Amino acid sequence: EQDLVKEFVALSTRDRIRAIRDLPMSFEEKKHIRLLSQFFRRCGYSIRSARQTLELWQGIMKEIGGKFGTSVLSYFVFLKWLLMFNIFSFLVNFGFITIPLLVYDPLPNIPPNVSFRGLEILTGAGYFNHTVMYYGGYSNETLVGLVEYNMQLAYFFTIAVYMVLCGLALIFSMARSFKTNYVLAESTSNGAWQLLCSWDFSITNERAVRQRKSNLRVQLKESLSEKAQMELLTLSEKLKHFGVHLGSWLLSTGLAVGCGASIYYLCQYEQQEAETLLVPFVVSLMNLVVPLFYSLFYKFEHYSSQRTQIYALVVRNVLLRMSILGVLCFYWMNVVAKKFSCWESRVGQALYRLVIVDFLFLMLGSFFGEFLSNVIGTRLLPRLGVPEFDIARNVLELIYAQTLAWIGIYFSPLLPAIQIVKFFILFYLKKVSLTQNCQPPRRTGRAAQMHTTFIALLFFPFFVGALSMVAYTSWSLTPSEQCGPFRGLNNTFSVVGVWIDDLEEIPGSQWVVWIYQHVIRSELFYFLITLIILVIMYIFWQVTQGRKDLIGLLRQQIVNVSV
Amino acid sequence: MGTTASQLGKDLLSEYQELTFLTKQEILLAHKRFTELLTKDEKDLPNTRVPMERILTLPELKSNPFRRRICHVFSTCEQKDGSLTFEDFLDLLSAFSDSATLEIKSHYAFRIFDFDDDGTLDSGDLEKLVNCLTGETDDTRLTVEEMRQLISNILEESDIDKDGTVNLSEFQHVISRSPDFVSSFKIVL
Repeated sequence: EQDLVKEFVALSTRDRIRAIRDLPMSFEEKKHIRLLSQFFRRCGYSIRSARQTLELWQGIMKEIGGKFGTSVLSYFVFLKWLLMFNIFSFLVNFGFITIPLLVYDPLPNIPPNVSFRGLEILTGAGYFNHTVMYYGGYSNETLVGLVEYNMQLAYFFTIAVYMVLCGLALIFSMARSFKTNYVLAESTSNGAWQLLCSWDFSITNERAVRQRKSNLRVQLKESLSEKAQMELLTLSEKLKHFGVHLGSWLLSTGLAVGCGASIYYLCQYEQQEAETLLVPFVVSLMNLVVPLFYSLFYKFEHYSSQRTQIYALVVRNVLLRMSILGVLCFYWMNVVAKKFSCWESRVGQALYRLVIVDFLFLMLGSFFGEFLSNVIGTRLLPRLGVPEFDIARNVLELIYAQTLAWIGIYFSPLLPAIQIVKFFILFYLKKVSLTQNCQPPRRTGRAAQMHTTFIALLFFPFFVGALSMVAYTSWSLTPSEQCGPFRGLNNTFSVVGVWIDDLEEIPGSQWVVWIYQHVIRSELFYFLITLIILVIMYIFWQVTQGRKDLIGLLRQQIVNVSV
Repeated sequence: MGTTASQLGKDLLSEYQELTFLTKQEILLAHKRFTELLTKDEKDLPNTRVPMERILTLPELKSNPFRRRICHVFSTCEQKDGSLTFEDFLDLLSAFSDSATLEIKSHYAFRIFDFDDDGTLDSGDLEKLVNCLTGETDDTRLTVEEMRQLISNILEESDIDKDGTVNLSEFQHVISRSPDFVSSFKIVL
């Protein structure tokens, strides 16, 4: 009966009535089924309406879409998604790590000579150092209240499960958007696409419509003239282009490496309170200035399409940020971990400062970057015009901010709270800056496809980097001996070993011990798993190749039949 | 909110919910906006048609270059004057809503672009389409030569059976390769 109801919920009204009539059952039973399926349908509708009512910032989203089109809107959708993501992380960490501790011991044990002075909000040191903000504020005891709550295990498993969930969420959302956006799209044809499906019906603003029309006209004219000029490049010109590309790649990579190296030397001078702000300040300054420098390159480089140009710019920026973050992580793992007694909290503070200073620079960036160039463009140099909203750069900034939170999750479990505030303010800030200072992007690329590539290109290195950093910390580094939940252990992971040893004495839990010893700790298991995954991947790859050939054949057939 | 809900009636509301992709709030909002377009006398009559000119005063449609075509496609009026009843209006919003399928959207997009309503996009339709997209005045238009080149490019790319026109399935084939279409073919009240 349940299957029947499930089936009927999906049908339309008329089909449902007919299907119920056709059932070989008594009148009473049919009536019952009809009521049930109606009830479920109603429930579905009300859930849908409730979800719509709860949707955050609906009106603002509509306004942005109406003035700037879908591609700019996608930035704001992404920002909202990140905000939700951080609310989730905050709830997980707060619920499983902080609340039990606060229930057990509500007052932070702050030494009497430490007081709140205000500078802590920027530096994250001092007063905060003794609260639950950082790793150091958590105890290693088993809290005995209504139930026994092992803090060590809770801390380890919360972080581990959180990281795994993040990874799964990312992989699934990426796979879904790859499936819909990438596989189907072909890069070869452009003209037909530009005309038949490029109009953005959600734009409602009169000026935006006019602007879009003229942009589209320019693009069409360009694409027509490009087609005519395509084969006119000589060998020497090609060589020149290649030389310029090589030069700018070398220069940008050199710059990224140079930035990383200088950060490493700067880290050595990190001393007391206010001085600690120097490193985050320089890091954020580099993140602001060097990309501007990169974007000057395109004046000399000639890319065949705009998309390649954007991708080149994004890859260079990713290299820069990766090298800076990589150097910082290296410094934390190798120098800070050996030098300080409570080094996890030190790293947590450093990350806190990075997050805060990055936020300040984001605000300054939208003020100077967008407001000032608007003033210059409208008053002083009308040639430059009103600035465009640079989606690629802004998305990259968001992902960088999120990476900081991921790295910090182990060292400062409440960092997502700061992140929530940051993204919330950023949403309004960007919205105001956008509507006051910017014009819609002149070229409308394939937003969805580019978005997918961004997520793949950016999330993969950044998330995997953050994950490996946290994993390395918990597997290979010795936790500090004076503070934190893991004091006295050789490494964080051995908390699982201790737990398993305890479990062995409890009858009925032998299977957990068996799994731990024969699956998690055995190399053979991982070897086999890797082998099987490789084989499956090879088979799937072959299947896709076969399908590609088949699609080509079918296409050929269509043309043959119709000619 | 309470008065509009009672005006629409619970049965009618659930019927609209079953027949469109809209949620309850969207239908109520549509009803509110639609009744605002009616004059005082018309409010008492059931199933009033609102003439196209008055529909086009809605800010969501006002600056859309395809606004007249949209009204014509969704109008069920026999005189083909583009006037809409409330149910036509819901139909329109449903096709342009977030949850409408790609199939529905591409079907209506094809009909909107088919200016002479003959079931295929021929070079005349494409020319009008280009003019709608780039602006209709003389100084914004493409030259005759550019237009000819452009249309032959489009047909070369999308006219698979080489009959000189783009038919619905060829159109849907082009659309299916453009994932942005679903998000940009959208009008929300």
